[in-house]
Amino acid sequence: MSHRERWMAWIFVAPALLLVGALMYYPMIGTIIESLYSTSFINPVPKFQGLAAYYKILADPIFGQVVWNSLIWTVFVVALQNVFGLLVALLLNQQMPGQGLMRSLVLLPWVLPGVVAAILWRFMYDPQLGLVNSLLISLGLIDHGTAWLAETSTAMGSIIMAAVWKGFPFSAIVYLAALQTVDQEQVEAAKIDGAGATRRLFDVVLPGIKDVIAINLLLTTILTFNYFDIIWVMTNGGPQNATAIFPTQIYELGFGQFRFGEAAVYGVFSILVLALLIMVYFGVLSRGRHRGKAS
Amino acid sequence: MNTRSHRSRQAALLALNVVLALIILVPFFWMVSVSLKPAAEPFSIPARLWPENPTFDNYITAFRPEFRTYFMNSVIVSLSTVIITVSLALLAAYAFTRTHVRLLIIAMTLVIVTQMFPASAIIIPIYKMMKGANLLNTYTSLILAYVTVTLPVAIWMLRGFMANLPLTLEEAAAIDGAGPFRTFFEIIVPLCRPGIVATAVFVLIVTWQEFLFALSFTSTKEMRTLPVGVNDFIGQYGIRYGELMASSVMISMPVVAVFFFLQRQFVAGLTAGAVKG
Repeated sequence: MSHRERWMAWIFVAPALLLVGALMYYPMIGTIIESLYSTSFINPVPKFQGLAAYYKILADPIFGQVVWNSLIWTVFVVALQNVFGLLVALLLNQQMPGQGLMRSLVLLPWVLPGVVAAILWRFMYDPQLGLVNSLLISLGLIDHGTAWLAETSTAMGSIIMAAVWKGFPFSAIVYLAALQTVDQEQVEAAKIDGAGATRRLFDVVLPGIKDVIAINLLLTTILTFNYFDIIWVMTNGGPQNATAIFPTQIYELGFGQFRFGEAAVYGVFSILVLALLIMVYFGVLSRGRHRGKAS
Repeated sequence: MNTRSHRSRQAALLALNVVLALIILVPFFWMVSVSLKPAAEPFSIPARLWPENPTFDNYITAFRPEFRTYFMNSVIVSLSTVIITVSLALLAAYAFTRTHVRLLIIAMTLVIVTQMFPASAIIIPIYKMMKGANLLNTYTSLILAYVTVTLPVAIWMLRGFMANLPLTLEEAAAIDGAGPFRTFFEIIVPLCRPGIVATAVFVLIVTWQEFLFALSFTSTKEMRTLPVGVNDFIGQYGIRYGELMASSVMISMPVVAVFFFLQRQFVAGLTAGAVKG
């Protein structure tokens, strides 16, 4: 490659490098620095305080609750969204009339703007007017409306269901594309050998898309951990912090209470969690590549 | 194959498809139905799915001047972001797929990783930077932030397309004496059309619904985008669901329409990268 071409390549990527460097990597360092300073509504000038904000937050029971909520939220949304997404992909992969229509229909919830989905589900869960209560009452499962989003015991489960509804289409479409790459000859061979549908699924189909499943699980984990809009619009992290996860807590502390330092501490912890997940992601990715080359 | 078992299998599949369609469509139907119910008519308890006296009143009320402002803001910010992101991503993806410079490959990998970064964790420093540059409450701050968050995915999607283009075309162009810019604009960009469409739709969907940056950077009604604006409606006018649902339908319409027109290219572009890894 000539000297000139080398320069051209750098010129082509320069805008992307500058923007991402200035607005992604630099602020990440900024968050770490911010977490060492104290600012508040009354004292807007940042004052160095070392790790004081870390001690304060680690001693605060709300921190434990946010960690626990984030864990529950992420694990359940990811698990349900991927299991449901895979089942839907298997269904859409079958030959039958009307399948084309279903494949385009299925992405609808994902295309719907997050805030709209949140408002819609807030309304679905409304104690008096919502469809969820009406449905459960008419089925005889409950005899009066429940305020799903206002009870600490039901709020988390309710927003998880809303997020799964919004998120499963993406997993379904990724899995559907992966299923179409599965070697049909192997499936036929297993059929001739007398393997039933379940055996074929577990012995041929799922191993064939193993890498896609692993990568999609990690990607949805990262996206779910970072979720903000649905929770913020549906519950604001409440009631009594029952649905507060890292992103909502950062926003609440930073922009709700102007405690930037404390918000940044939560930011640093979530960067650490994400860094770990991203490392696992690249581990899985490179393992998949090696296997791909070997076979 | 045994016809009877084939038939019962088809019936079972059909039943499952109907269940799936209901799970997807009932909330949508409910949104549209409530948006068409007259505002004065008290909501029936238990809720009824079908509107009895459908009317467009909610739409007329919801289409108030603020809504029109929010809509225009969203259009300006989203379209600018789509154009800038796709242009910059095309350039970067092209250099990325054709170069052998190790440092550049590492740098671009670091760019692509940021699609997984938590926006909430870096929002405070970005907010302070925008404040320092006097950009808060402007289109520029939002467009800058949106271009930055959408670029990594856009580069990644376009890279998948460009990697499949044969090198021979560029070699032929080089022999004809075309420089890198001419080769890029006259040969590469036209060949990437399907990839550009898929990427543009993706960027549009992401930007149209972005909430966190818009909520943090905009402080006046004149600058709000639709997602933040409609969230404000909840508090301002009490929870008037008829109007809220009408607004929701109007917000969703543009992206849903774009998606249905271009979904074939979009889905192909979206899944190409995910499946190839």
